[in-house]
Amino acid sequence: MAVTRINIGPVHPSTHGVLRLVADIDGDTVVDVQPHIGFLHRGVEKLVETRMFMQNPPYMEKLDYVSPMSYDEVYVAAVEAAMGVEVKERAQYIRVILLELQRIASHLLWIGTMCNDIGQMFTAFMWGFQDRDMVLNLLEEAAGGRMFYVNMRIGGMVRDLPPDFADHALGLMDYMEKRVKEYERYLERNPVFMERMKGVGVLSYDDAKNLGVTGPVLRASGVNFDARKNKAYYVYQKLHFSTQVQMAGDNLARYKVRMMEIRESIRLVREAIKALPDGDALGMPVKLILPAAKNRISIVSRELPRGECIMYLVADAQKPYRLSIRSPSFINLAALNFLAKGQRTADMFGIMGTLDLVMGCVDK
Amino acid sequence: MDDWEKENRVTDARSEMNELVAQSMKNYEVKPNAIFAKLSDISGAFSKGLINWSRSNSVWPLQFGLACCAIELMSFGSPRIDAERKGFLLFRSTPRQCDVMIIAGWVTKSMIPEIKRLYEQMARPRYIVSFGECATCGGPWFESYNIIRGIDQVLPVDVYVAGCPPRPENLFDALMKLQKKIGGKIED
Repeated sequence: MAVTRINIGPVHPSTHGVLRLVADIDGDTVVDVQPHIGFLHRGVEKLVETRMFMQNPPYMEKLDYVSPMSYDEVYVAAVEAAMGVEVKERAQYIRVILLELQRIASHLLWIGTMCNDIGQMFTAFMWGFQDRDMVLNLLEEAAGGRMFYVNMRIGGMVRDLPPDFADHALGLMDYMEKRVKEYERYLERNPVFMERMKGVGVLSYDDAKNLGVTGPVLRASGVNFDARKNKAYYVYQKLHFSTQVQMAGDNLARYKVRMMEIRESIRLVREAIKALPDGDALGMPVKLILPAAKNRISIVSRELPRGECIMYLVADAQKPYRLSIRSPSFINLAALNFLAKGQRTADMFGIMGTLDLVMGCVDK
Repeated sequence: MDDWEKENRVTDARSEMNELVAQSMKNYEVKPNAIFAKLSDISGAFSKGLINWSRSNSVWPLQFGLACCAIELMSFGSPRIDAERKGFLLFRSTPRQCDVMIIAGWVTKSMIPEIKRLYEQMARPRYIVSFGECATCGGPWFESYNIIRGIDQVLPVDVYVAGCPPRPENLFDALMKLQKKIGGKIED
């Protein structure tokens, strides 16, 4: 059969965000697929250079709009490292709690959109958004915003947790634990779901390392790497959780890693709330002139819901001189061509769904 | 909307010919009876009201999200807000079945031709909701080199929604305003 070249996107319900794919297909088999990016490019790295350090977190949040607080935190941590500021202990615990809640919200949204990609299981979409809204309510209570929070300051937080937060969070965690079981019962007993996930898009251990993929995609291929564990930051080494690793490397393994990560996050939130120390959690007020950067260069690595994000900050006295962002979605997008080759055209979207791309993070 | 259509109208030989035919037909127009004219006016007004009523109660949005606000657009269809109860049915994937396009996110220079093309493919009457600050005025990316400062520089906008991002409830409010506008209850 002759090879046909088809264009998918940039506006297409199955491309996550605004991504254009040019695919060469032979019958129904994908021979080659080239992603064309840049439809959301707005020059964050350049804009950041024109602003003071603490004017920038709102820009960082819009990079990855499914887990905004995590990106905010990476940037603030990079600035803290450049200034040589220690984060207060209570603030560290609060950050861990909020970041893990954000991870749960992000993975719940992923379940919904991914199930849409592999065959119109609209129930999963409804369930995912319903539960995500509950987590967002909790974050709204703690940080004041529904989607964008900007509640990190250098050395701490903007505000302490509200008094009822611990009860509400623990209640939600109990509910969420039940729901995760329900999701698994609903999805893994579904023959359509299993057919489209099992054995599709297999990424072997060596290939995963060579392609440089990060996060759940890497862990699903059997590589035991989690920046929370391996590059321990904050109080993560004091808390008990395990890195979730699956050996199969297919779509199902990536799904399982994310489901288990929700469980681990629930565990982390519970433990962090129990161990939350008393004291002051507030960071430096922005209105005061911040201390000038001591170290000129800082490199910070954090585990986001999508993988490991590294920020490289060259600091001037009051502004970033250069900020370079290694975004996990961009790295994982590189694996699409490798994984989709030889698969069915429809499975290409399933693979793209399990890579969990956010185009705002890819295009910067 | 009329100005935009005049500027962007495709004039080819066929449409010119149609105009010539229409002009020549005017000479042969038969003047109707006064009673029938009155009746047709009444039925015209009635059917116009009926059409507006049905249009305003089945506004179908296009499934088209650009950036952050697209997540809130998805929340708009989720069980908490339940968009279907007011006639904003399921998001359609093809512009040919849609009445309203919600611009949710910042509009880059490379995205303009695509958005224009989608708008041209939509059947008339078509409406645009500018959702969020980026689509309304450029928002936080106002100084960026790759962003246009508001979708209204390229396409006619009916309802603006402010916020970064606006809550899904705000979109509900905006679409209800659009319903009123379609029904002729509020002016431009």
